[in-house]
Amino acid sequence: MKKRWPVASLARALTHSYCSSTTTTTPFPLKHVTKSNFDSALSSLRHHIRSADFVAVDLEMTGVTSAPWRDSFEFDRYDVHYLKVKDSAEKFAVVQFGVCPFRWDPLNRSFIAHPHNFFIFPRQEVSIDGPAYEFLCQTASMDFLAKYQFDFNACFHEGVSYLSREQEEEALRYMNSLYEDKSWDSWGDLKEARDMPLVNIADVLFTERMKHRLREWYDWLLRDRNGRSSFPGSSNDSEQQFQTIFYKMRPAISLNGFTSHQLKLIQLVVNKHFKDLVYLRVKGENSCSQHLVVYNESEDDKKLLMKEVKDEQLRETEMKIKAAIGFRHVIDCLSSEKKLIVGHNCFLDVAHIYGKFLGALPLTAEEFISSVNKYLPHIIDTKILLKCNDVLVQRMKKSGTSLFSAFSRLCQRIAIGSKSSHLLIQPSVKVEIEVDDNRSSDWNSGVRHEAGYDAFMTGCVFAQACSHLGIDFTLHSSSENLALNEKLQKYINLLYLSWSNGDIINLSSSNLSSLSSVSSSKLYRNTKILFSHIVLVWGFPSKLKAREIRECISKVFGSTSVTSVYHVDETAVFVQFKKEEMVPLFLELKESLESSNDAVSVLHPLSKLLKGGNTCAASYETYKEICSSPISKVLFADQAKAVGIKWKTKLVESKVEVETQENKSSHEEHSLNSGENTTIKKIDVRNDPSHSQVSSDEIDDDSFYSTQIKQIRTSL
Amino acid sequence: MVPNARLLSQKRFFSTKTLHRNHLQWPIKQVTKSNFNDSLPEIKHHIANSHFIALSLQNTGSFSTPWHRLSAFDTPHTAYSKAKFAAERFQILQFAVCPFKIEARKVVAFPYNFHLFPRDELKLGMPSYSFTCQTSSLNSMAKEGFDFNACIYDGISYLSRAQESSAKVRMGNPIIVDHEKSSFAPIPVPTVADTVFVERIRSRVKHWKNACTDSSAKTDAAEALVISLRKLVLGSEQHGSRPCMTIDVCSERQVQLVLKMLEEFSDLVPLLIPAKSGGTQAVRVVLTSSEEDRDLLKRELQDLEVEQDKRVRGFREVIDLICASQKPVVSHNSLNDFAFIHSKFLAPLPPNVVEFMSSLRMAFPQVLDVNHLMTDIGPARTSMSANMSYLKNRFFAPIDMEIPHKATENESNIHGHNVVKICHLFGKLCSVLNLTPTSSRSSNHHLASAFDGYANIFNLSSDSCQEPTDEDIRVWTNNTRKVRCEDVAFLWGFRKRMSAGTLKTLLRGSNEVFAKEFDVRLVDRSCAMVVFWQPSLRETFVDIMNSEKISGALKEMVSEGLKATGYETYKRVCSSGLWELELADALDKALALPDSNLEDDYETNTSEIYWSNDLKINLDDL
Repeated sequence: MKKRWPVASLARALTHSYCSSTTTTTPFPLKHVTKSNFDSALSSLRHHIRSADFVAVDLEMTGVTSAPWRDSFEFDRYDVHYLKVKDSAEKFAVVQFGVCPFRWDPLNRSFIAHPHNFFIFPRQEVSIDGPAYEFLCQTASMDFLAKYQFDFNACFHEGVSYLSREQEEEALRYMNSLYEDKSWDSWGDLKEARDMPLVNIADVLFTERMKHRLREWYDWLLRDRNGRSSFPGSSNDSEQQFQTIFYKMRPAISLNGFTSHQLKLIQLVVNKHFKDLVYLRVKGENSCSQHLVVYNESEDDKKLLMKEVKDEQLRETEMKIKAAIGFRHVIDCLSSEKKLIVGHNCFLDVAHIYGKFLGALPLTAEEFISSVNKYLPHIIDTKILLKCNDVLVQRMKKSGTSLFSAFSRLCQRIAIGSKSSHLLIQPSVKVEIEVDDNRSSDWNSGVRHEAGYDAFMTGCVFAQACSHLGIDFTLHSSSENLALNEKLQKYINLLYLSWSNGDIINLSSSNLSSLSSVSSSKLYRNTKILFSHIVLVWGFPSKLKAREIRECISKVFGSTSVTSVYHVDETAVFVQFKKEEMVPLFLELKESLESSNDAVSVLHPLSKLLKGGNTCAASYETYKEICSSPISKVLFADQAKAVGIKWKTKLVESKVEVETQENKSSHEEHSLNSGENTTIKKIDVRNDPSHSQVSSDEIDDDSFYSTQIKQIRTSL
Repeated sequence: MVPNARLLSQKRFFSTKTLHRNHLQWPIKQVTKSNFNDSLPEIKHHIANSHFIALSLQNTGSFSTPWHRLSAFDTPHTAYSKAKFAAERFQILQFAVCPFKIEARKVVAFPYNFHLFPRDELKLGMPSYSFTCQTSSLNSMAKEGFDFNACIYDGISYLSRAQESSAKVRMGNPIIVDHEKSSFAPIPVPTVADTVFVERIRSRVKHWKNACTDSSAKTDAAEALVISLRKLVLGSEQHGSRPCMTIDVCSERQVQLVLKMLEEFSDLVPLLIPAKSGGTQAVRVVLTSSEEDRDLLKRELQDLEVEQDKRVRGFREVIDLICASQKPVVSHNSLNDFAFIHSKFLAPLPPNVVEFMSSLRMAFPQVLDVNHLMTDIGPARTSMSANMSYLKNRFFAPIDMEIPHKATENESNIHGHNVVKICHLFGKLCSVLNLTPTSSRSSNHHLASAFDGYANIFNLSSDSCQEPTDEDIRVWTNNTRKVRCEDVAFLWGFRKRMSAGTLKTLLRGSNEVFAKEFDVRLVDRSCAMVVFWQPSLRETFVDIMNSEKISGALKEMVSEGLKATGYETYKRVCSSGLWELELADALDKALALPDSNLEDDYETNTSEIYWSNDLKINLDDL
């Protein structure tokens, strides 16, 4: 039985076809990095990144889609697709981050790769009074990771934590605002005890005793300032509880072995009866808190002491925040070195990197693109490379562009191992692997779907692809920046927006284009979808199939009126009409049928669709609105309800109005046009990237009508 | 796949880390997928012989932000909304079950700790598409040495009762037609089309049957070929070792017609093939060779179904055993725990607390909360250890724990201790409260009556082992006072990190409504609650806030952004699920909602909340 809609595609599960565990001898393992070896690994990695020609990355996440209907569909406009990627990157956690710098070694005429496999975990290391850190797990993804022996213990127990730049700023801001706050009690550790009534006799007695003992100590201190005689502690016991020490050059008592209630009472006594004493709670050695009563000579001295304490705490917190940056140091290094980043099908990866290490993902694709470009100026996606370049398309034959098939096709020597020197193996770029002090050109010890190994494979594919593109590394000098190589310019900073539509976004110019414009190959043809012709229908009777919905609408609007019906999930469909004006007509008809209750409306062909009285319909814009919500219910109909949609039909304005708005907006916006009527524009990527004024929208109607659409998927 | 060397080394690192934490050595049987089936008969036996069953859960999270936590100022409705929100998002990773008996001076307990993972065993997107984890929860589990690999690789899956019934339909397993039952269905008046349909099917079935039975008699090669061709044309298949054919149907009416027609053939067994979207997709006819063969087939099908059911239910089998035993269930955090249990193992949580309670009571007739029992002898404390030390200090209740289990060699048996602590505490409480069931009165009925006064009261005090985060609240809660919801207002829009005391001082001078006694307390950093101890002043206050006559210092505060609303807005926040990170944002959103449907108005007038940390609801009152 065929699937009726793409079910929970784990992007990775789909791209990697099947596991052939050709376990050869494992000379040395991948470099795994956790909390314990992070610092040493970071310093060596920094060095490798600096001297690298490019750095391949790969991420493993706890999930991809937060609800089945959030999967990517053919009917995703680029802005909707961005919202879906944004949702995924915001909700799921990255658990493994593979970084693999590649450096060309002119002596050996080979690349040297340094694969690193970082376990990362968003542990909350600094407490700012925000919400608890949370992330979503998609059950199927977790199961998938488990299938590939992912080590969850290494991740959750020992994973390296991180702070994004935004989180770091927020933490510093919070700390400073606490510092500047004049009232003492807002500084958590110095909170003064509130005056509290001594309710029971035990407290009264205890308070009296403490008062007496503090008085004793105080008197001894004043009397004996020069005498150097030790404080006459009454017993061993009390000596342990009251230890005379020096704190910041001042005599002090360290309080030990009291309960928190008792400490509070002592604090009250100090505040009430001893002007020259200050009660303090400070971080002692081995980070447990120490309770002190410190003597001050004067009011000024007291202020000075408090300031010293505060400054110290500020420094400490600052250090803690700096230490919490953790894994972000790696990304910051990639960013500051402006290295060429290589990923395979990496739009989602880039979104994760942005959201986890820079800050909250912007609301629109345009903003995202422009700020990614500032952060990571050179990104290349090997999947696009493989699909766009004719030479590579030919090389790949029809084997699919998943990372593993690309690796085993293009880098046979590494994939199979050089020992089995097969005649068929083409000359290829040599790659040597260096892990710590081990070096090998025959290295096959990675486990697939281990981020470090996947990053390594991606880099190998890229190196090989470059050589097919005619980049000769032997002529390549280390000072030359690979990212600026003219043979790569056509492909750099292009990211896949939508797999099914073949939309590509250009990060450096914010241009949206379709795959066919980059690639001259005819293998890849994409279907144009007119979003203004689409009605979203949900909440209809659950057994209704796409075919039946089509029939029932065709009865009213004519047999050719519906171009396609596409299931979002079992509770919702997109209906694409042949003509745009049918959209408002359909919505109006639906509403009028629902408002009247006469026999005609019951017998009306549409009543089958409206049965149950929960059927809702709206234009494509509502779909975008629903996708932008942070809520994720499993079923689309439930989602619409949770988003707070109370109406059943949302009428759209007449077409003329829409069009005038359209024209206005297309003049205002330069590159990306988010208008309703826009289909994907053809932009020649070879054009100057500064190219800003898009010539009037070329709507690709012809290709749309000429392509046969097979969106109607029946369950048969 | 060969477990790689890294994993093994990981295991090692893991065991050294946990060594020093094994301070308590109660042997608790750890159950995962690999030993689940073997443990079932044993736990079944223990449940049958126990007086009580204690439960304790370990979830992937509790509450995301301070105001999401169950609190004293929650009514049953808002508390339930909060518990529901948590139960629907988070996942249970460990479920400890401990059937126990109370004997003279000891508690005999059989603790089990089940590791769960909502793996989609049937590839149907169930039991859960996704779930939320709190890093702090995972981190504290990690500190206890929890083995996440064991949990995710080898955790037991499950389906709730509601999911089970939909799974059965979607798996499309053939259903045996119960002739007794089907004869009750109204026999449709046959139309011409029906007759044509039935005739066509009848002749198809006849041809097919002849083709099948003939093949044994004739040996002619050519004939055999013809027969096998005919079989092919007629759509003959194999059901196990028996020949069968599939008749596609378009409606339930056709199903009835086909079944009726098939009654003519005594050696044919009809099976219904369910469609994925419900209803019947086809009728499969299986040819049996004799009467005995026919019975054998039916038995085979029934066995298959039992086996399949077991696989589908997974861990829920244990829940079903507990329900079936009708034994009182002892827990520590009952509203939260049972919201989880209901949503994961029974059915999706109903929209309101009344329905939840009645639905829950069907499955668990008696739920005892140790926190509630504690209130009978002293002030309630939320943490287990605080309860325990309170008892130890004030009462003499020497109750020993006896766990006849043998300790497993499994190193991870440090998990699930909480459930034993619950048993122990409960045993002590029974002794203090003189509730100990004597063995002579072991019949369920008597037992039930002894605990009648305590059963089914859900303690609303919040999450277990955390100390109150804010000192102010603890000071506050020393004196419990009842407040009517009408006298409570929510205030927000003041400067962040303002203390309750400062706010109170500011308010006191701002308007004459604050001349009388009132109190302020912070709910989270964005929002405060004000309680007016004088009736009707709250109303006056909110009216002033919204009127043009507002003046003086209060006007100044409002201009700075101060807002106020009554308790009903808070209720709306909870019932509409506006779980914003800050309560202030949620209240603003609730005020922006269209006014029309205030569904939960019915309880507004009557309800009282507690101005303290301890609040419970008795479901019998509802």
